[in-house]
Amino acid sequence: MRNTIACSFFFAVLIESGCTKTPEPTKAVAVSGKVEDLPGHESLRVDNSHKEGPRTLSAESYIRSYLFLFGGLSPIDSQTALRGSGATVDTTLFDTWSDYLGALGMPDYREDIARSSQTNALMIAAFERIGVALCDRAAEHDLKNGATPATVFTFKKTAALPTRAEFDERFDGLHRRFLGYPAKLAPTDRSSRFFTLLTNASGATTDPTIRLTGQDAGWTAVCYGLIRHPEFHLY
Amino acid sequence: MNTRRSLLQFLGGSLAASFVPWRALADGTVATSEDFFIFIHASGGWDVMLSTDPRNTRTGLIEPPSTGNMTKTGIRLWTDAPLGDGTSSFQPVQPKGSNIVFGPAIGNMANYASRMTLFNGLAMNTVSHPDGTIFAATGRHLAGGRVPASSVDTIIASELGTSQLLPVVSIRFPSYAIDGIDPRAIPLKVDSIGAIGRVLTRSTKYSSAASRDAVTLMLSEEARDLAKEAFYPEPQQNFGLQLDALRGILAGNLKDAFTDATLKAKYPSFSYTGNSQSVGAINSAFALEAMQRNILRCASFTFSGFDTHTTNYDDHAASQQDMFDTIAEFIKQLDTIPHPTKTGKKLADHTHVLIISEFCRTPQINILGGRDHYPNNSAIIVSPKFKGNTVIGSSDKDQLLPVASRAFASGTRAPAPPDILSTLLSSAGIEPSTFVRDGEVMKEVLV
Repeated sequence: MRNTIACSFFFAVLIESGCTKTPEPTKAVAVSGKVEDLPGHESLRVDNSHKEGPRTLSAESYIRSYLFLFGGLSPIDSQTALRGSGATVDTTLFDTWSDYLGALGMPDYREDIARSSQTNALMIAAFERIGVALCDRAAEHDLKNGATPATVFTFKKTAALPTRAEFDERFDGLHRRFLGYPAKLAPTDRSSRFFTLLTNASGATTDPTIRLTGQDAGWTAVCYGLIRHPEFHLY
Repeated sequence: MNTRRSLLQFLGGSLAASFVPWRALADGTVATSEDFFIFIHASGGWDVMLSTDPRNTRTGLIEPPSTGNMTKTGIRLWTDAPLGDGTSSFQPVQPKGSNIVFGPAIGNMANYASRMTLFNGLAMNTVSHPDGTIFAATGRHLAGGRVPASSVDTIIASELGTSQLLPVVSIRFPSYAIDGIDPRAIPLKVDSIGAIGRVLTRSTKYSSAASRDAVTLMLSEEARDLAKEAFYPEPQQNFGLQLDALRGILAGNLKDAFTDATLKAKYPSFSYTGNSQSVGAINSAFALEAMQRNILRCASFTFSGFDTHTTNYDDHAASQQDMFDTIAEFIKQLDTIPHPTKTGKKLADHTHVLIISEFCRTPQINILGGRDHYPNNSAIIVSPKFKGNTVIGSSDKDQLLPVASRAFASGTRAPAPPDILSTLLSSAGIEPSTFVRDGEVMKEVLV
């Protein structure tokens, strides 16, 4: 019985197909790349307007970015590295990630504390505290100790303070790493500003207790500027 | 095309201006104040029958707090009032000369009844923690999951506090900046006071303060230049202003002043041990210190431990007593500490305290021995601009629900949080209707 029904249906489909008119040849569509040239889209407009301004990312994104940019360690390993060990221990540099979660805007669902969606001065202070610790440890590892593989400062240091051209080449690498695009495309006069920053920071330190001096201090200041940059924090 | 671009640029400019405080837009001046504002949230929903709206008899739905459902040990103002079944409720507490009758968990706050404006029978219309919390702090219920209005601490910080280094510090308080708020007044939210010290600490072993400050200054210039290029300049402008604020905060060397140890040493009269609200004590000490240094306009913080659905209701009275004792000590300190800028005045002469919770607890005891959420509430204001020894609103005797007791423009109804917030804003010289959609000023409580 089931086979009979199936065969009847099959023949019905065949007959119907045979009665169908031969389709007209389709018109060639000119491919111009414009949406309005597509058939049926003549009256449509593409909405190119801006929908939303820059905003903060979730705090988890910042923490993951920090970990990714500075060596890819786990949170607990990075915490240990940031606090240092032996001769390099410095508990004033970094405490624990959990000390900063509230200031970074993380929610606390146990207490019905909502996620912060806007920056505030204390959040900016937390960005500085964490950014400074990350850059200081990276500079100590890459520049001062010359350990390999380098985590952030992957370029070769110049013998003396870099010239502007030497700086631009190295800064471009850092700019791409932190902000994701070439420095020369920045909407502000960024390279000049950071070059001034490097020059001033390199010459400013005369305190013998400070571990990073000269060019190392200059590049560390550049790192501070990039990891704390508004374009890093506002998406 | 040019016309469209001009229009968009104009709109962009309007958006850029939208963070300017309403007061500044109105009269072209930067408003300020020499007053301080303290906002306290009793988180979890307090049992008003134990303190602000006492009940000590079985009437209607009401099963009053008694030795049968809680522990009276340590509640100093508890005097037995037998219920006739072998258990005892409490004798109401009425300070001498006071119009206000309290429950025993009011603790030392009973000493300040003459300066207290008490709002009872508040219509909360919710039994949800997030909704009640937001309603109490903003005067609006949640719209879906969204907070639709700014909280009162943030409004006051924006209108009166932007000249202060810390316009509003919010420690687990429901602080929100929604519309018309100056970016410098976006609440500085922290988990604890100690976190402020930690976030502001900088190592001196790797770079100098001057070097780090130069970076912050450069980033501030970057943010402003980016704002000029941006279609939506506001976030970048805010970022720049907040970088400037950070420079001021770090230059003030506040990190040492705001550690738990420093605050405990400087304000030893608070109870930091054996107090279920010791965190609130540290927060109170922080507020005193920041006011003395004149770097704060608003401090908002939370006392917790009131969400007592089960046998943990046993501890509810003690938690309330600890909270009210801490607040009483805070007010005592306000009475003794000189105002930082007003010669001959004390902090108490210019400090306004609002105490809220998200709702109260059921008049019945549930099967787990605790009390659940209930859509009634109380609030307390201690302020030189409010009439003390005053009670507004009431709850009915059988069900503990708000009574329509006051004539508002829209008719007779129970007071609600928007009315309290509007009245407080009005007392501070802020036009309440700009920020609070539904409230009405209750002029009879203002001095």
